[in-house]
Amino acid sequence: MKQFGKIFKFELKSYAKNKGFVGITVFLVIAMAAVMFFPRIIAVFDNGDDGDKDRSVMLVKVVNAEEADITKQIFSGAFADYDVQMTDESVDEIKEKILSEKAECAFVLQTPTEYTYYVGNLTMYDMNTSIADEVLRQIYQTGVMINSGMTPDAAEKALNVQINGTTESLGKDQIRNFFYTYIMIFALYMVILLYGQMIAMNVATEKSSRAMEVLITSVKPVSMMFGKVFASCIAGLVQLVAIFGSALLFFNVNKSYWADNEIIDMIFNIPPELFLYMLMFFLLGFLIYAFLFGALASTVSKLEDINTAVQPVTFLFVFGFLVVIFSMTSGSVDSLLMKICSYIPFTSPMAMFTRIAMSGVSVYEIVISTAILVLSVVCVGIISAKIYRMGVLMYGNKPNIKEIFKMLRKA
Amino acid sequence: MILELKNIEKSFGELKVLDKISFRAEGGKAFGILGRNGAGKTTTIRIIMDVFPADSGEILLDGKAIDHSRIGIGYLPEERGLYPKKPIIDQLVYFAELKGMKTKDAVKSVDFWLERLEMSQYRNKRLDVLSKGNQQKIQLITALAHDPDIIILDEPFSGLDPVNAMVLKEIVNEQIAKGKIVLFSSHQMNYIEEFCDSIAILNNGKIALSGDIVSIKREYPRDRLVIRSQSNDKIKSELDLPYTVTKNGDLIVKLNSPDDKRAVMSHIVEKYDVDEVKVLEPSLTDIFVDAAGDDQKEA
Repeated sequence: MKQFGKIFKFELKSYAKNKGFVGITVFLVIAMAAVMFFPRIIAVFDNGDDGDKDRSVMLVKVVNAEEADITKQIFSGAFADYDVQMTDESVDEIKEKILSEKAECAFVLQTPTEYTYYVGNLTMYDMNTSIADEVLRQIYQTGVMINSGMTPDAAEKALNVQINGTTESLGKDQIRNFFYTYIMIFALYMVILLYGQMIAMNVATEKSSRAMEVLITSVKPVSMMFGKVFASCIAGLVQLVAIFGSALLFFNVNKSYWADNEIIDMIFNIPPELFLYMLMFFLLGFLIYAFLFGALASTVSKLEDINTAVQPVTFLFVFGFLVVIFSMTSGSVDSLLMKICSYIPFTSPMAMFTRIAMSGVSVYEIVISTAILVLSVVCVGIISAKIYRMGVLMYGNKPNIKEIFKMLRKA
Repeated sequence: MILELKNIEKSFGELKVLDKISFRAEGGKAFGILGRNGAGKTTTIRIIMDVFPADSGEILLDGKAIDHSRIGIGYLPEERGLYPKKPIIDQLVYFAELKGMKTKDAVKSVDFWLERLEMSQYRNKRLDVLSKGNQQKIQLITALAHDPDIIILDEPFSGLDPVNAMVLKEIVNEQIAKGKIVLFSSHQMNYIEEFCDSIAILNNGKIALSGDIVSIKREYPRDRLVIRSQSNDKIKSELDLPYTVTKNGDLIVKLNSPDDKRAVMSHIVEKYDVDEVKVLEPSLTDIFVDAAGDDQKEA
């Protein structure tokens, strides 16, 4: 236990002294700040003159000159980004203006319901024609209604009637919680994979630099393994908390500037208890994979063999991640596959967490899944320490899975 | 203190690595463990250090089963290596702490040894900026800093220049004088002969020979004579025995039997002008080659 403490301290200190680790954390916190302060900064630069000097020109040519005023009014309302100008030039002159970039685009009406849209370069996101369709339809419909005896006001009201509807989800709202669940799952995925690789690297470096020769004679492999893994776990947690925490903090500082952004609002509308679940599944998921990464890395003698050695675990983990992501995007987080995955210890941290976040899971399901996971973490920890003990003293060719199992039976 | 191994056996899978290894090493003396590559030296050392348990047999310290939580062992592994990217002081203190020292004592002891080995100026440097010989000295500190009762040195002199080898010799002698048990494993027979009073030669996991060097040499058949004379050629032809000539012209003849020794010696001394004639003491190398030689190939 004393040794565990020393190892834990030493490993944690090396994270704190690791420039890459500190650098990335600081960078991500700054990035979060930059994103969250963005609208406020924009607002500072944006205040005051929304001058229409750099708005691009849209030309509109109508059939009858007396419709010009009303058309200009409606078009200006619909195309707020444009400086709408009426024209009665010929089509060729209009084309010439567009080509010489005096105007960006033009609507030339042949009849009240027929037009040609001229534009310099048609971009992929050009929505002008559909807006124009809507506007012209409205003008036409209003005209027809007035002609058949309605007052202009009544016609306008009839056409612009507002439908008010509210949705009330009695379970969970998968639209609203999709974003934050996705982000949390992704964070879980990144941190576990990243730290798993770091632990693998750490173990393999100790072995290949032969520091292990001294370590193994002073320390029980179990303390070694647990010290390393727990130190990484804390480092990962600190990183997660720093990034999520700073994002949350900076969001709250700038909350008023984000008021009209629904997506950001959805992301930060995380129920507090979900953070607790995330913390729990992060810890358990982290541990189970960290042990495996450490154990497998202990079997390699050369650093370049690490990737092949840890591949099976990486595949398992990526598989779990993909299942969860596909289920999320297809909206079927309670599919049979997901249900199975939420009880298998290697996939349950992500699968169960997703189901808790996005669907209704009963307490006993959570308890069973967590119990299986905790038990597996303990077992995997012990088995990994055994593999580790055998592995670190083994030089030469990397053993395959079969040999590792054989080793285990003897350990 | 007396360290005793009794009938230690160890197998890895089908392979029997150690077969009834027994020897006895005393405090205040150095004990040499010799053997060819793969003979089982490192496995023996690891069992002594409790890296893994023996399948059977016992390790006794002063007649009682060794208690690793109370006895300190310092180890200089043959495969040298520490953390290349970490500051020297950090890792040395870490290793000393892992051996049970308090941080304050660890720092003090490490600083003492850095001073002693003239490495103080590298205290806060990273290990990989040091030359190989200096890295060896740092590694030696990991074996000594916690003031262990048993010191195990595996090829301690490899890679050291003569000056550093002298420093190490001094340190080893000091530790022996302090009454510690020093176990020495080396292929450099001259160092073994210089330090060790007793040896054990391992061959294919078995003790091929063990005991104190002087009596081992005594028991060795004294059937070879070294003759230094101006008339070596004549002696050679008269004796008609298998012979070799050394670099400096001495003649070494192998007698048919050790019993012929006195007769042959007095005969040549009387007949020829002989500067010197004596029984050839077997060197440790001879003994080693005999005990662990080619008759049994490595597995």
